[in-house]
Amino acid sequence: MREKITYVLAIAGIALVTWNLYKIFFVLPPEANVAAYQIVYFHVPAAITAFTGFFVALIASGLYLATGDLKFDAFAAGITEVAVAFASVNLATGMIWARYAWGIWWAWDARLTSMLTCWLMYAGYLILRRAVDEPTQRAKLSAFLSIFGCVNVAFVYKSIEWFRTQHPAPVLSVRQGGGMGPGMEAPIYWNYLAMLCIATVLVIVRMRQEGVSREIDSLRRMAHAY
Amino acid sequence: MSPREFQFVFGGFVTAWLILVIYAVSLGLRERRLRKELDRVRQMVEKR
Amino acid sequence: MAKAERGGAGFSLQGGLQPTPQPMPALNPQLPAEPHSPSFFRQALTIAAKDLRSELRTKEALNASLAFSVVIFLLFSFAFDPGNLDIDINEFSGGLLWLAFAFAGALSLNRSFARELQNDCLDALVASPAPPGALFLGKALANFALILAVEIISLGVFAVMYNVHIQPQLGWLIVVMLMTTWAITVIGTAFSALTVNLRMRELMLPILTYPFLIPPLMAAILLTTDLLGGKPISADNMIWVRVLVAFDVIFSLLAVVFIDIVLVG
Repeated sequence: MREKITYVLAIAGIALVTWNLYKIFFVLPPEANVAAYQIVYFHVPAAITAFTGFFVALIASGLYLATGDLKFDAFAAGITEVAVAFASVNLATGMIWARYAWGIWWAWDARLTSMLTCWLMYAGYLILRRAVDEPTQRAKLSAFLSIFGCVNVAFVYKSIEWFRTQHPAPVLSVRQGGGMGPGMEAPIYWNYLAMLCIATVLVIVRMRQEGVSREIDSLRRMAHAY
Repeated sequence: MSPREFQFVFGGFVTAWLILVIYAVSLGLRERRLRKELDRVRQMVEKR
Repeated sequence: MAKAERGGAGFSLQGGLQPTPQPMPALNPQLPAEPHSPSFFRQALTIAAKDLRSELRTKEALNASLAFSVVIFLLFSFAFDPGNLDIDINEFSGGLLWLAFAFAGALSLNRSFARELQNDCLDALVASPAPPGALFLGKALANFALILAVEIISLGVFAVMYNVHIQPQLGWLIVVMLMTTWAITVIGTAFSALTVNLRMRELMLPILTYPFLIPPLMAAILLTTDLLGGKPISADNMIWVRVLVAFDVIFSLLAVVFIDIVLVG
């Protein structure tokens, strides 16, 4: 059953991306047919996917602390790792966008800095997980870090609005001051959906690995117990 | 679409998906390593 | 008999193990028996006093972090030319100061829980009747005092070496230092507890701590630069004071509530 869901989601994600690419290149009005827009169609959904992941990881960590079930810990670990991958996509596409629009690869603008900070924070989470051997201790320490991290993401993110900024205002019209024309932001949402599908597939794969490595650990302990 | 535009769009898309593909490949490699280790440990347990 | 036991446990060569003195009603029959354990804050203060006492006996972390911050100041002098009159040192003095403080602070924070590992003192502390929150708060208070002491001394050294005037806005400067130091201490002490049992303890603490400290450090750097330049706190930089206050309050609460996950786990 799980295998089937994984395949369906993977196919759905790839199909959605293909369809979105077609729309982005051939259907949208010509003013959207510039690199500035087309990169943003992947840059923004990647960021939203990453933040969705960090938030879900917080919930999973909370559930782990409440229930003590290591399955939630595996979920939190998998989703954080995938979210960091999507945050890397966001940073990389952002740098290419910056090179196109501003002529420089990186600006120490508030939003770039805050995304890099979040990336570093969660990279620290992943490094911490590797440094702890005992599964329960690892789960507890990383759940604690995940709670702290998610609260800090809010802090880091909020300071954007107060710090000097050269990043364009948020492009989505959900928030005030959206920068894209009407009807132009649809691909962002579709790409978000596609990325969510792909992220879910990756998380499922990652969680299964976590289960396998736990099995290896317990078998090893059995072998040494004789 | 001018060559410059194309260069940036192409660069952007390739990087975006390359990162995800690299991550997926690393997941696959880890999966293979884990399976191998699982088999090895299983054999070790059975031998005892 | 009970008295002798207490005296024995309180003495330790490392100065590490000093179990929380519990009210001992049986010791003095004249006093009415005290059914309650001491209040949360009393327990925290006891832990803080014990930490400060053992630190002041050796002054290991204190000396190391002071020396370290002076070394950082020395290194900064090569990053730019302090004698160049075209450079306005006030424009980046905030950044220099807080970088030095944050790096020097990590030295004491690393020791905070690690020093309890000898003779299993950490297990004794966790097993003591003091709740984990109080243990954390006590450790944090002790670190706060130590880091603040280092900061005050190095601020003086910095002002002398780089010809920076700290007097004009001294009041606000102290407020900013207190709030930011508490932010560093809360995050640092929590992560010090988190990493204490790890293999790469000394490496993990900075990796985890510095990205977390970016909001308060950013606020402190901006405010300190303004204040050292003689600019008072007004409507436009008040927002950073609020960031500091919010950060301090939220993370203090989170840490006190959740620290038992890390300590008792």
